[in-house]
Amino acid sequence: MTQLIQTLTDGIAVGSLYALIALGYTLVYGILQFINFAHSDVFALGAWLSFTIATWFGLAAGSGATTPPWYIGLAVLALAMIGCGIVGFLIERLAYKPLRAAPRLNVLITAIGVSLLLENVGQLEGMFRGHHFKIFGPYPKAMPALIPDRVLLHFAAVQFRLVDAVVLGTALFLMVAIQWLVFRTRLGMAMRAVSFNHNSAALMGINVSRIISATFVLGSMLAAAAGFLYAMKYAQLKQTADNVWVLLGLKAFVAAVVGGIGNIRGAMLGGIFIGLIEFFGVAYLSDKYRDVYVFSLLIIVLLVRPSGILGKATVEKV
Amino acid sequence: MAETAMLRKRMSVSASESPEELRPPAWSFVPRAFAPLLVGTVVAGILYFFVQPAIGGFGSNLLLFAGINIILAVSLTIVNGFTGQFSIGHAGFMALGGYTAAAIVYYGSFKIYGDASFHGGLVSWTGRAGGFRGPLLGSGDLLFVGATVAGGIVAAAAGWLVGLPSLRLRGDYLAIVTLGFGEIVRVVLQGTDEQLRRYDLELIRSTPMLKLMNKLGGALGFIGIPAYSTVFWVYLWVAIMLIVAVRLKHSSYGRALLSIREDEIAAQAVGVNITRYKVRAFVLSSFFAGVAGALYALQIGSINAGELGFQRSFEILIMVVLGGLGSVSGATLAAIILTALPEVLRFVDQYRMIVYSLLLIIMMIVRPQGLFGVREAWDLFRRRRPRGGA
Amino acid sequence: MSDAIGDNLLLDVRDVSIRFGGLCAVNKFSLALPPGALYGLIGPNGAGKTTAFNLLTGVYRPDGGSVYVQGKRVDGLKPHQIAHAGLARTFQNIRLFGELSVLDNVRMGAQMRGWHGLPGTLLRTGRYVKAERGIDRHARQLLDIMGIASREAEQAKNLPYGDQRRLEIARALATEPKVLLLDEPAAGMNPQEKHDLMQLIRLIRDRFRLAILLIEHDMKLVMSICERITVLDHGETIAAGNPSEIQANPKVIEAYLGEPV
Repeated sequence: MTQLIQTLTDGIAVGSLYALIALGYTLVYGILQFINFAHSDVFALGAWLSFTIATWFGLAAGSGATTPPWYIGLAVLALAMIGCGIVGFLIERLAYKPLRAAPRLNVLITAIGVSLLLENVGQLEGMFRGHHFKIFGPYPKAMPALIPDRVLLHFAAVQFRLVDAVVLGTALFLMVAIQWLVFRTRLGMAMRAVSFNHNSAALMGINVSRIISATFVLGSMLAAAAGFLYAMKYAQLKQTADNVWVLLGLKAFVAAVVGGIGNIRGAMLGGIFIGLIEFFGVAYLSDKYRDVYVFSLLIIVLLVRPSGILGKATVEKV
Repeated sequence: MAETAMLRKRMSVSASESPEELRPPAWSFVPRAFAPLLVGTVVAGILYFFVQPAIGGFGSNLLLFAGINIILAVSLTIVNGFTGQFSIGHAGFMALGGYTAAAIVYYGSFKIYGDASFHGGLVSWTGRAGGFRGPLLGSGDLLFVGATVAGGIVAAAAGWLVGLPSLRLRGDYLAIVTLGFGEIVRVVLQGTDEQLRRYDLELIRSTPMLKLMNKLGGALGFIGIPAYSTVFWVYLWVAIMLIVAVRLKHSSYGRALLSIREDEIAAQAVGVNITRYKVRAFVLSSFFAGVAGALYALQIGSINAGELGFQRSFEILIMVVLGGLGSVSGATLAAIILTALPEVLRFVDQYRMIVYSLLLIIMMIVRPQGLFGVREAWDLFRRRRPRGGA
Repeated sequence: MSDAIGDNLLLDVRDVSIRFGGLCAVNKFSLALPPGALYGLIGPNGAGKTTAFNLLTGVYRPDGGSVYVQGKRVDGLKPHQIAHAGLARTFQNIRLFGELSVLDNVRMGAQMRGWHGLPGTLLRTGRYVKAERGIDRHARQLLDIMGIASREAEQAKNLPYGDQRRLEIARALATEPKVLLLDEPAAGMNPQEKHDLMQLIRLIRDRFRLAILLIEHDMKLVMSICERITVLDHGETIAAGNPSEIQANPKVIEAYLGEPV
């Protein structure tokens, strides 16, 4: 029973992170029908920006360090989101926009290129004309604690920590916000129109280019938030070119596909679902095959229901 | 009507009842079927006996990896380039073939010879030049070639399994499934049991081969495999791969694959069973990926699934796209360039990957159709037929 | 064999229907084509003409009814199986293999009746060479007939519109069909080109004893060439008969001109 509840809480907490990243994939896919492979790197960037900004505030990891007041954490989150939003904007403008008319495969390869670029730029550290410079550096770092390590709830032997509450709360808040933005605002309406058909949207007076940019900025900001929350929960940050980031991103992508890619509620549902599958697999089957559960689920879902749980099937016109 | 009469005369032949006069003489079969292979064998021999000694250890390593990458890129061309099925799990097939061949050669050697040392002939000798006394081919070579083919077959079986979903999935979705498949292969291989070593000889001998297939070293990788794979073998397979790909492309069979890429609905309308062709493309492609994996494992002497994840698949995919989707010579050239590029870029040291990724992005923007597009290098030199009839 | 399927009917369609959601796109569509028939299918935009073609060729699976090609039941079969049964088609929104050469497009049709095994292909056996030569010769003949032989080496997507339509017909003919369905073959052509194309279609029909069913918007053209015409409106067959009957049919006039005031 203890294990069940513990697994459930862990699964939901991590699942909500997946959901946040999945939203970015889904938003972009909905509008451009392409898998933004660089999205996982924006997520990594979000985590590392949070770290860098936290150190600007004079914070450091380690015992004895007191946690700063709550608004510092909020400021770190906001700055990281702004930073990633800018990067997302630049990626779209510089790398993807010139390829709007190119075959999908080309855009995908470009995305892979952008992904490699971000990973390796992130790891830069060296000398330039006698000056030492560093982006994030090639070594893992420990994230300073921004949230007091407190147990909120005891249920039998299950601990529900403040960190988990913050992760879940922030993720839920952002998901509700995105939902509101897409379905209740003019920008959201324009986004939905563009995802339906670029040409008709343009004819209706929508600036398609700007909407696409906005979508990338939005997705990147969500990824940044996920990166921040990830850094809160797992204080160890691997260097940007480490597999961990891409793998987390891939699983989030799986979440988006399982939920029905292009579908915002599907991404949220899929994220939680994937988180649960992963943690239940690890807890009850075997730790060794952590990623197998997720990818097997993906294949099964695609075979049984190719458009995902909430996705709509498309029919090609002949 | 004169016109009708002309039509009648012209329409007298149909494809289903081609006249016997179109059949080439029987004797011409052997040269037609095997001449390219003979040329390939000779080229492989020249590369091995004359070129390799002249270019040193670093150069010959590059030569070997270029060869293996050519096989990988051209095999992926069959699925991605010809058939238009978007696969990004190619490294998974490579891993399957590599591990299968490695296990067969490693455990097979113990079972046959009692140790994992080299029992090959001259064409497999990777030791110091000139230090070999023995026949051209040894008994170990038979084991090696058998293992390579077995690796290909295992990978092909997996290709069949992955090809099946392509009955239902299109485009990106299929890509995601192949990606998921590749990751599953990697994780499963990394979760295998500990490798049995020399001191377990009795255990190896008493355990049936199939059961040994689970003892592949897990996350540590599979090591200590006798290295049989030389420039000769690699380029022999390169030759086979190229012959298969080129012959396929310029045949009805390959045309059917291309038609699927161009328009599935129109392909069906002219009688192409698209699911069957897709699956066959997957099987053929993964067979050669498995062979490449086998050549790779048996060249290095070790294999680790951790290095054969999606990043490796991406590398291969990049070669295919860079060469031009559907171009065999393009994929070949791109494989060579991309094998050499990281080495060439060594002088920029830590900026190497940054330059590489920037090149990739710029290439996609500036020349989206790749080096050759769907055409081949030799098409570029051929003069265009003059317009108008005689 | 079953009841009244005339052996002499090349295409026999009986009460074929399909609905998309609540919409009945085609309702109880029936048609019979004897050898040598040149029939027309007309109707206002959205009447279900192309949907009817898609039903016959297996792109959509009918909800009810049956389709026979040369006495063989084909409804429910896959499109490629129906093609093998002897039903060929062209598409309204031209579907050529754009990156392939003109010649290769027709070869794709011609190779359907040819032989192509993988081992033979890779070893270039005598049987393979013979089959490829047969395909090649057949394809070139059809290009000749359609008058686009001089463009054989060009990529199909680079052809002018009218030639693309001709190429589609050549590709369909190369499969040696018994029944040919042409979906607006003359769309986008000028009157002279249209006239020439219709002459050609008639000629082809005569030579092969083909049955041809064509969708065409140009009323004058349909009336002048087709022996029998079926009119669809909102998925329903509102009239069928020879051109003069159709012209006089008040339902048809209403469908085209709207409700009489």
